Amino acid sequence: MSEPNSLNTSLKRQIFPLAALVGQAELKKALLLAAVNPLCGGVLIRGEKGTAKSTAARGLTEILPPITAAVGCPYGCEPDKPQTWCPYCLARGDKNVWQEKPRPFLTLPLNATEDRVAGGLDFEVALGQGTRRNNPGLLAQAHRGLLYIDEVNLLDDHIVDIILDAAASGFNTLEREGLSVSHPAQFLLIGTMNPEEGELRPQFLDRFGMSVQVIGEKEPELRVELIVLREQFEADPEGFRARYLEQTETLKEKVIKAQHFLPMIEIPERVRKFMAQIAAEHHVAGHRADLFLEQAASALCALNGRRILSEAEVLEVAPLVLAHRQRESAPPPPPPPPPPTEPPEQPEPEDSDEKPQEEKPDEDRPENKEPPEPEQPEPGDQPEDPPDRPELPPLDPEGLMEQIFEIGQTFKVRRIDTAKDRLRRRGSGRRSRSRVSQKQGRYVKSGPDDGLGDIALDATIRAAAPYQKSRTCPPGLALALEPSDIRSAIREKKMGHHLFFTVDASGSMGARGRMAAAKGAIMSLLLDAYQKRDQVSLVSFRRNEAVINLPLTTSVDLAGKLLAEMPVGGRTPLSQGLAVTFREVKNVLVKNPLARPIVILITDGRGNVCLDGRPDQNPLKEAWTLASLMAKEHRVKYLVVDTEEASLVAFNLAARLADALGANYFKIGELKAQTLLDIVKQEF
Amino acid sequence: MKQSIPVYPFAAIVGQERMKQALILNIINPSLSGVLIRGEKGTAKSTAVRALAHILPEIEVYSPDPFQLDPQSEADLLAELHLALGLGMAAPPKPEKRKIKVIELPVGATEDRLVGSLDLERALKTGEKRVEPGLLAAAHRGILYVDEVNLLDDHLVDVLLDSAAMGVNTIEREGVSFAHPARFTLVGTMNPEEGELRPQLLDRFGLCVNIGGILDLEQRVQVLERRAAFEEDPELFSSEWQAESEKLSDNIQKAQKLLPQVKASPELLYHIARFCLEVGVDGHRGDIVIYKAAKTLAAWNGRTEVTKEDIEAAAELALPHRLRRQPLQAIADSLDQVRKAGPKL
Repeated sequence: MSEPNSLNTSLKRQIFPLAALVGQAELKKALLLAAVNPLCGGVLIRGEKGTAKSTAARGLTEILPPITAAVGCPYGCEPDKPQTWCPYCLARGDKNVWQEKPRPFLTLPLNATEDRVAGGLDFEVALGQGTRRNNPGLLAQAHRGLLYIDEVNLLDDHIVDIILDAAASGFNTLEREGLSVSHPAQFLLIGTMNPEEGELRPQFLDRFGMSVQVIGEKEPELRVELIVLREQFEADPEGFRARYLEQTETLKEKVIKAQHFLPMIEIPERVRKFMAQIAAEHHVAGHRADLFLEQAASALCALNGRRILSEAEVLEVAPLVLAHRQRESAPPPPPPPPPPTEPPEQPEPEDSDEKPQEEKPDEDRPENKEPPEPEQPEPGDQPEDPPDRPELPPLDPEGLMEQIFEIGQTFKVRRIDTAKDRLRRRGSGRRSRSRVSQKQGRYVKSGPDDGLGDIALDATIRAAAPYQKSRTCPPGLALALEPSDIRSAIREKKMGHHLFFTVDASGSMGARGRMAAAKGAIMSLLLDAYQKRDQVSLVSFRRNEAVINLPLTTSVDLAGKLLAEMPVGGRTPLSQGLAVTFREVKNVLVKNPLARPIVILITDGRGNVCLDGRPDQNPLKEAWTLASLMAKEHRVKYLVVDTEEASLVAFNLAARLADALGANYFKIGELKAQTLLDIVKQEF
Repeated sequence: MKQSIPVYPFAAIVGQERMKQALILNIINPSLSGVLIRGEKGTAKSTAVRALAHILPEIEVYSPDPFQLDPQSEADLLAELHLALGLGMAAPPKPEKRKIKVIELPVGATEDRLVGSLDLERALKTGEKRVEPGLLAAAHRGILYVDEVNLLDDHLVDVLLDSAAMGVNTIEREGVSFAHPARFTLVGTMNPEEGELRPQLLDRFGLCVNIGGILDLEQRVQVLERRAAFEEDPELFSSEWQAESEKLSDNIQKAQKLLPQVKASPELLYHIARFCLEVGVDGHRGDIVIYKAAKTLAAWNGRTEVTKEDIEAAAELALPHRLRRQPLQAIADSLDQVRKAGPKL
């Protein structure tokens, strides 16, 4: 096979020259810095779709300065660092022939399996020559070069782990299939992502030295220029590239010159302090930022052809290095007002006058005093119909006021629980013996035979290959397999979770914009669910009963729509809500025993209607008993979001309920992401 | 033995003009990169896509060649890719003409079938490491059709996005390391009731049409009649429509020839850019697609000059799914909704 993964000439023709890219100054700067200084930690390109993210990243290949490596060395070892040499270079010692070669630029596709990333036994060699040889993976090939990952946020966790491991130590160690290899793997990560598709893990994010946020150009002139250039390029790629050849070469020379300058850059003590200060001021997590800041600033200094690093250069690169590391600069919100940053524009209950409003004076809760006057109390109504028509005056013996609140402000939800994450990988990651066929999911690596029949043949061959000398082959086959060679595929499939939202829609939720805040919180969770491809279900309870507004579906959109229309009013049949939800959860568990549903209960916990619809028993106690029964189902994870505002007369009933459920308990204000590590602030 | 399953003729589809137009534009100009057809069940979505087989033009390919390389521009890849497959170059494949193919990606496909994988038979029999090309190789320069694209497994979508982005499919799995060109027209059909597409995948479709059932009584009757006639005797029905199909096919080829000569005045380009800015489109792909679609429309109508009407019609096809939406907001059915909300074109 030819040079693996190299973009051969014909494919190279498709590269749009970096020099021809319209606008995107920050992006080009970051890429140049990365080209000059391999120590500045790579670039993460974030941006909406269609903003030339990938185009720019691939254009980088053409301006990379060459490296010097030994002829025949599979790992591209550095000539002046003999202590890191691979066995091949070590064995040849002085006999190594050093030669310039292009700096590696490797593409890590999302379909990559472990053996191609980290390396593995080359079975062709093993079968043909009977020797064990490592088939270097992408990490080896990318040593001293760049590893490019398109849509990096969609990469499998498992592959991310391998990359993180190598990035942290600078070495990739392989202990498998009878191989024991360790080789240097220092590479720059270049990644592109669209944040709409989910965020990166903080740890992974941290590995990127710089990040750039790209947005579409706002000037019509530039947009037109872009259309025209694109058209010219597509009509005649080669001619187009030829026209930019000179500019590309100039850029490349600039990079080579700067690289030459780089070791000579001096950093005055004053500037060093300045860098530390900047990092500290921006509440940056960890010390890696300081390091990257120094390297990036030095690279810029070298590009500018200067010897001594100045504050101006530090300031210029600071946004690139710091933006994605910044922690939330504001201290955690003070406890007193639970929805602290809710916008003031939430509709007050009073002003939604177009909705039917009615109420009996004997209402259940003290804070229900403020709702408007009862208007048209009439008997007989259909309690089912969630978005009640205004024409049908909703009414029941309790009386109720019914309103539809707008969705309050949404926010980034914090990761609900790390344990959840691990469960996901285990529950869905492996072959699920449930109704789905076993061979679904992405094959990421192999393990010992698990007897389920999903054989990873490539791994099996690798396992068998070294023993072929001592075995006799069946006729017509190239190798003899024995049962001990069998390897099974380990597949990862992100199935997402089953999320059940159980929402208290009783009258007490109408007070003081609580429902708006709650809807905001649910919406945020829904957005989170959307990114993680969860299935969601919506149950609401009010008046005398609980209703399944939305059976389990992947259409988070629909859930959002229903949520917006959900009316509020009436008493609080908490037990009903719990019971209906649990029935749904049970259904899921029957169908899919490996599922790990999550129930998110949004309530103030003030149940006042029993299961039989009568308010006079002890509805709270009933709900708690029910809750403790539900807690016995260990496969279900519960989350209680308390909507009660902190005040002198807080009842903390939701907390008690959470206790009974064994649930995680949050005040509604606490749902926000504590560390905004994963959100890059638009403005620095 | 050419077509074992009878295919309903494209020309005989009643109504659904926008869908037909979008499909035809994509055939004329493959760089429009596909169309997404959204609509309820029973609105002839899949029928239309499969019916394309009748009217697709021919392209030049090597035979045999699992990668559908273009003898004009990708000849240098042939030897390299074929050697990687272990095909000898003793008898180099000859260029020949054949119709563009529609490759169907089933919703339940596995990843290795899509991107390609290790050739197991070869590995077991001879111990050699060879590539077995997948559907992406087969779809190069053709049409990749995904029915119920919104139900496609997530990891398949990821892979699809990965290769659609640059027109290259890179394989790094099961011990093989390999790359080949994969530029295809992505055609997807979906019923929005079953959930929406992910934004990034949505953006990969150049055009998007929303279709509904036909409300006109006469047309509905026509649908019934033609369907009945087709089911009774598919061959007879197809032959009745043969002339129509050929006419369509001819027109497509004429438009293809005309396309390189189509020009647009700089004013119109500003028109596009400003409009996209005003209605709020993410990124630049919208601009580019409108421009291409407008040019293609002009060619389809036999003109070499793009008009304002072309641009408006193109925007209608290229923008609804690209507008910056509130999270979870529904995709606009048409630009009318957009115009209501935003400034006028």
